[in-house]
Amino acid sequence: MQWIAQGFIFRRITSPFHQLDPRVKLLVSIELFTLSLLVGSLPEVIIALSGIFAIASISKILRRISRTLTYTLFFAIIIFSINILVGYPLMDAFVIAVRFLAIVGSTSIFFLTTPPDELELVMKWFRLPRDIVFAFVTAVRFVPVLMMDALQIMDAQKSRGLELQKGNIFSRFRRFIPILIPLIVDAVLRSGDLAEAMEARAYGAVKKPTSLYQLEIGVWGKVATILSITLIVPLAYLFLFLM
Amino acid sequence: MECEYISTLHIERGMVPEERKSNNGLIISFEDRTYSYLNCKEPAIQNINLAISPGEIILIAGPSGCGKSTLLRSINGLIPHMYPGNSSGKVSIDGSSVDETSITEIAKKVGFVFQNPENQIFMFSVERDVAFGLENLGLYHEKIREQVDWAIQLLNIEKLVNRAPHELSDGQKQKVALAGVLAMKPRILILDEPTSLLDPFTALELVEIIKKINQNLGVTILIVEHRLDLLINAATRIICMSKGKILFDGEPRKVLTEKKLPRIGIGIPTITRLHRILNEEKPVFGKIPLSADELATNLKLILK
Repeated sequence: MQWIAQGFIFRRITSPFHQLDPRVKLLVSIELFTLSLLVGSLPEVIIALSGIFAIASISKILRRISRTLTYTLFFAIIIFSINILVGYPLMDAFVIAVRFLAIVGSTSIFFLTTPPDELELVMKWFRLPRDIVFAFVTAVRFVPVLMMDALQIMDAQKSRGLELQKGNIFSRFRRFIPILIPLIVDAVLRSGDLAEAMEARAYGAVKKPTSLYQLEIGVWGKVATILSITLIVPLAYLFLFLM
Repeated sequence: MECEYISTLHIERGMVPEERKSNNGLIISFEDRTYSYLNCKEPAIQNINLAISPGEIILIAGPSGCGKSTLLRSINGLIPHMYPGNSSGKVSIDGSSVDETSITEIAKKVGFVFQNPENQIFMFSVERDVAFGLENLGLYHEKIREQVDWAIQLLNIEKLVNRAPHELSDGQKQKVALAGVLAMKPRILILDEPTSLLDPFTALELVEIIKKINQNLGVTILIVEHRLDLLINAATRIICMSKGKILFDGEPRKVLTEKKLPRIGIGIPTITRLHRILNEEKPVFGKIPLSADELATNLKLILK
């Protein structure tokens, strides 16, 4: 459980890709996502996955992205099985399942390399309403807190004799109720405290709040943008019309 | 220099300098304030009359449920703006009625550090969180940078600026929460049980910071604290509450002579208790000591 919890916690890593402007990272992620959508054969899937793993390697997140893809493997297997059942050839079903992994991998690149603070700046750049942006940032900020709360409640209930590993899937789900209820109550109380703290720090005082950080693409950002477009556009053309 | 900067800042924000106000130099005043939460028959605070001058450090003590938090929330406007209920009387901050001023406007003057620091750190990096209040006020980027750096330096948390909240200890979180509030340069600082999650060493460190803020910046500080030992030496005044009322209000030495304190659930400091026991045996001790040093001086005098 602790291992899963760790997967949700963002870690600051110093890598050339991490240091890029979040809009450039988003562009690269969208490009890889588009490429993953366009693949239709095994060589194309291999090219798309290579691109994803190359960026993950530069970003030093190879292990973390592998963990994300391991979770996703379960759904990929389901997709593969359904495609086989509905009569797709084995290779096509395999390509569709792996394409799903590539799609997840391409989006993970952005979320694993962009801290929520930068994500907030990007959302603001897209002129999303302040309240929505703040709700999103707060939700992401409290994921590790709630995960740790869940683990603590789990340990407390286990020490009182609750057995989570026994029984079939339904009884196991029922056994999670004593964990979910205190967790929800705790989250509700926490939201009250958060609201008070927000008010006490002048949330909503002005219509357009300013920001400590400002987005700046920089030279390397421009180079990365040009390089990614130069590589991805011909590849997309190749996937669509030639391969 | 810093105090001058603060007063300039408040004038910039449109606040009237103290001497021009008709509040008799008081920064906080309660006039017969009674408040009860919605659907509650019993008032949380009753007939509170309080006058607080700038620069005081006030320790608020009392058993759980005695109205301490309600009193504090009445100062920063969470009551009645966020918790509408039945209220009478008046609370004024710097001459302005809390009931008629918005919370965001009060937030410019009153900084509030809540009990659990985890629930008041919103952003994903320390630096960004310290800037949160200033961003909300719509200050220019350069001004935010200046005030954030100032608060970070004041709290000595330069090494933490890029850390995420989940990478901080409770003591570090408390410092970050305090920095976030101080960056807004409030004239009043309210701390609700700031040491409740801290180990004794970190708690002492926090007390030293609080003293520094009061002495160097002239900020009026109100602290709710159960561990009187920690803050008794720093406080200029103690307010003891019970069942929504102020029972004792005065200088620490005067309030600590009250024999009713343990009966209403206020744990008196060990040094004071020792002084009482010794005084019962041989009533020759001088003033009530507020620190171990003072007690030692008293004892030396007796032994001579």
